[in-house]
Amino acid sequence: MSELIARERRQLELRVLRYNPRYPDATPAFQSYFLEEADAMTLFIALNEIREQQDPSLQFDFVCRAGICGSCGMLINGKPGLACRTLTADLPACINLAPLPGFELIADLSVNTGKWMRAMSERLETWLHAAGDDPDIDSLEPVMEPELAQEIYELERCIECGCCIAACGTIQMREDFAGAVGLNKLARLRLDPRDTRGDADFYELVGDEDGVFGCMSLLGCEDSCPKDLPLGTQIAWLRRRMVASTLG
Amino acid sequence: MNSSYKAIPTTGEPAALGPGRANAWLDLLQGVSGAVLVAFMWVHMFLVSSILLGKDAMYTVTRMLEGEFLFGRPYPALVSAVAVTVLAIFLVHALVAVWKLPGSYRQYRVFWHHSRGLRHTDTTLWLVQVVTGLVLMFTATIHLYDMIMHPSMIGPHASSARVYGGTWLLDLVLMFAVEVHAGIGIYRLIIKWDLFGLTRRRELLRRVVTGIVLFYLVLGSFTFAAYLKIGAEPAVQAGERYVPSWQQGAH
Amino acid sequence: MEIIHTDVLVIGGGLAGLRVAIGARRRGHDAIVLSLVPPKRSHSAAAQGGMQASLANSLKARGDNEDVHFADTVRGSDWGADQDVVRMFVHTAPKAVRELAAWGVPWNRVKRGPHRAIINGQAETLVESDAAHGLIDARDFGGTRKWRTCYVADGTGHSMLYAMSDQAIARDIPVHERAEALVLLHADGRCYGAIVRDLVTGRLRAYLARATCIASGGFGRIYRVSTNAVINEGIGAAIALETGATPLGNMEAVQFHPTGIFPAGILVTEGCRGDGGLLLDGDEYRFMPDYEPEKRELASRDVVSRRMEQHIAEGKGARTRFGEHLWLDIRLLGAAHIDSRLREVKEICRYFLGIDPSRELIPVRPAQHYSMGGIRTDYRGESTGLKGLFAAGEAACWDMHGFNRLGGNSVAETVVAGMLVGEYIADWCDSPDSDFRASTALVREQGGAVADRLEAIAESGGRENPFEILRLMQETMTDKVGIFRSGERLQEAVTTLQSLLARCRDIGLRTQVRGANPELAAAYRVEKMLKLALCVSAGALARTESRGAHYREDFPRRDDAQWLSRTLSTWPGPEANAPTLDYQPLDVMAMELPPGWRGYGAKDHIEHPDTGRRQQQVEAVQQQHSDRFERQRALLSFESLLPERFQGRNERLAEAKEGAA
Repeated sequence: MSELIARERRQLELRVLRYNPRYPDATPAFQSYFLEEADAMTLFIALNEIREQQDPSLQFDFVCRAGICGSCGMLINGKPGLACRTLTADLPACINLAPLPGFELIADLSVNTGKWMRAMSERLETWLHAAGDDPDIDSLEPVMEPELAQEIYELERCIECGCCIAACGTIQMREDFAGAVGLNKLARLRLDPRDTRGDADFYELVGDEDGVFGCMSLLGCEDSCPKDLPLGTQIAWLRRRMVASTLG
Repeated sequence: MNSSYKAIPTTGEPAALGPGRANAWLDLLQGVSGAVLVAFMWVHMFLVSSILLGKDAMYTVTRMLEGEFLFGRPYPALVSAVAVTVLAIFLVHALVAVWKLPGSYRQYRVFWHHSRGLRHTDTTLWLVQVVTGLVLMFTATIHLYDMIMHPSMIGPHASSARVYGGTWLLDLVLMFAVEVHAGIGIYRLIIKWDLFGLTRRRELLRRVVTGIVLFYLVLGSFTFAAYLKIGAEPAVQAGERYVPSWQQGAH
Repeated sequence: MEIIHTDVLVIGGGLAGLRVAIGARRRGHDAIVLSLVPPKRSHSAAAQGGMQASLANSLKARGDNEDVHFADTVRGSDWGADQDVVRMFVHTAPKAVRELAAWGVPWNRVKRGPHRAIINGQAETLVESDAAHGLIDARDFGGTRKWRTCYVADGTGHSMLYAMSDQAIARDIPVHERAEALVLLHADGRCYGAIVRDLVTGRLRAYLARATCIASGGFGRIYRVSTNAVINEGIGAAIALETGATPLGNMEAVQFHPTGIFPAGILVTEGCRGDGGLLLDGDEYRFMPDYEPEKRELASRDVVSRRMEQHIAEGKGARTRFGEHLWLDIRLLGAAHIDSRLREVKEICRYFLGIDPSRELIPVRPAQHYSMGGIRTDYRGESTGLKGLFAAGEAACWDMHGFNRLGGNSVAETVVAGMLVGEYIADWCDSPDSDFRASTALVREQGGAVADRLEAIAESGGRENPFEILRLMQETMTDKVGIFRSGERLQEAVTTLQSLLARCRDIGLRTQVRGANPELAAAYRVEKMLKLALCVSAGALARTESRGAHYREDFPRRDDAQWLSRTLSTWPGPEANAPTLDYQPLDVMAMELPPGWRGYGAKDHIEHPDTGRRQQQVEAVQQQHSDRFERQRALLSFESLLPERFQGRNERLAEAKEGAA
């Protein structure tokens, strides 16, 4: 921090795409807000300053403001990203903000990612299917290789922010596509020996054009993932497994 | 206990219902057919470019492909047979691609907007792939039809005459489309199946593939120039068949 | 107004709330979870370092068990905790970890053979046994005598929350997202549900339930500098307070985490220090051993935070134009360790500070982190004033943390409380006492009052700006009710907060928009938050001693003679401007571990008159029994309090689970 050199403060222009579906007659339009840039200013700080001082009706979502909860995905100059950890210093003085496409719009920058994720989760059954509902929790836990546990965690770092969906070329044309978030989750579960399902079961869930065979491998997902998950690699792995299970 | 747990443990039994196995086959088919076509094209370009080494070289290559060294005399029908096979693979590849492609104009418009907003190379490349693919559907089909119907029209003079005499525009477009499509295709294929772990090393892969495509485009351009140059020769214009240098003395 | 019926209404979709809902559902009761945000975005996800449970698998955990965890927790609480509850907690924590393992949490595992560890600034080689290979690993944390904190790199809360939330989905438990409870429906000492605002449409709904469980987390956002998520505004606790019928406990016990990054206040985990990271001052000198020779950087959080602020006050901080701070040094852990075990920390440093922690120092300063206080409940999680109202997790004062919580004990509490309270709620729902006839009159009356209030705010035309009041409250709390407290500053805080509360009546809105107007939300929330802030400040002002995280410069000693008690704050009525304070004494004669020195921190305290006598009794019992279970039972019997399914003994490598039962 101490290395930061005091420089002349920039005037920022935040152009926010505004639309509230509760006013169906209105048309979506960019609205400009001007504010002075502060040191270490993030879009979280900037948007809150605007709401508190200029326009209390402006809607957006932040929760952890530390880049770990995935609430604040939005299009920042056209690219999906987490607003809370985006420093204005890394952006030009004019910043375009728009809601993440692909999700139901609540208003302005707020979209209903939760509803989408829950529906995806129910459809793809993205929970660990254990052998029974009543695990033995008194005895020593079943062992797992340390490396495998770490490998699973790598894939589990997904925060369901929706950036991969917003950046997905496939989903633009195929609305029911599972998306990288769903496919990665299934790859994570397939990797986990505690999940009792086999390839055939997973094939049932994603062995179609809305699943792993619909993916066009454009990797907008991987390139937009704030957690830098190896999404392309995972989808490819799942695809190979699905094909192998068919051939074998 | 009134448990509502939905997880019914299942093991790897074959699925009776649900998505058909066809999806896996089709996906594999598209990839394999594409890979075969790319391999063919890359070899093909080397064969065609043999003209750069001289007319004799190209003559030898032609005769070799017509099976002269195997059977003692050339059978141009062999070329037809190869062309039929390639056409078949090409049609399979195109059909699977078309089947997977979205059907409505609206979807392309949505994708176009998406790609313009995102400014993401891999996404943009897909549009290039669709366009070159469409171009190939016409140009490659015509070219292959030509090869099937007139297999004997291959040779240092015959080919040059054909190019110079009319098909140059078609061939030029075909060459550019095919090399770009093949390059992007092989790049996408490697990523799609994560071959050699290259999905995570995309920058490298992209550079290598770009290099290959440029190489072929340059090679193709020189080859093209060579055919055009030969095509302009009076002998070729007069419709003389090429006689290899080692037979010219015997005349 | 739409009315929704269910058996169990859970307010809050974090770890505690989801586990309660799963527990109730497992027993055949319907449950609905209300959440301000999609449940996977709850603040539970922000817990990085890990969850304490005495599995005793790894080398440095060997010899650990419930007894050690119990003693650490009670010492950490500065004897403010309810020891029955602590016992229930430490017994169930290993089960919670194992249950989560079965549900998919990829706990880090012990690897056989030698590995490098940094202990007290020195590299050491630890050799793990073959028998432990593949079992759940643990790291060191503050205030513990064993390495007990089970972890998933530094995304423990995230993994736990995702596994839990997925289980809720697997069990078809509906989560009503973007819903905020504004009032508890209650009459004659019984809670019947809540009036809830839909944060998308702005509409009000009524939920009627046999049991209502508040699991809405803490209230860190009453402070300006807090590690908490922006949703941690304490509305759940506030609506319980506003009933006037049930008290909040120990509200003045507010924890400050030593390592919030400076100046944003974003948390970097205690795991940094647990794994060997050091605290350095402005001269890059390691100062903690001078203050705390026993536990150094790994004393409890209240102690470390206090020492850090003390050191800054002595002029030893690093100065920047944002103010003063200290440094956290994790360079000595090495890039490989940071890349695998502390990668969230690395990301936070990269994005918010622009530094690489494997090569550079991290600027830190204590920031508000946790509220030990909350809705006072009994050991079953039921509120002491309203039947059918339960609370679990940080929103509750169950009271296992007393005046200071140990790192790693909060995510552990969320799940354990969820498991236990879920069972007790199911018991309650099974009993005929929970039957009630839905009273539409009650919904009309109390729901109507909420609607009227919201309308009054929207149309008041008042001059006050809710964001301005919020900011002033937050600044007051951070400046005057922080780590070092004094009667004078606390009195100023109370006065300021009271005037802010009065100004709330004149709040006017600048915008009228359909749907969920964020300005309207700020307006009704700030009033509730002010009431919590007043409970904290008034409680702190009245408590003339220092205990755990509550430190009075004018009363620096712990005073067991006067203050070995739990503060209970009740809000007397809608027009009141201060809580009523009451105190519930803790019974030394019933303690398994009588008050003494914590093993770190201040050594002088004023003894309770019963302490000596109880100490003798305890020693006598200890000599009588050689078996630790028998000894424990003779001192404090808690097993019968536990739900039957959680009574089993915990197996460890060195300890078979059957034993002498």
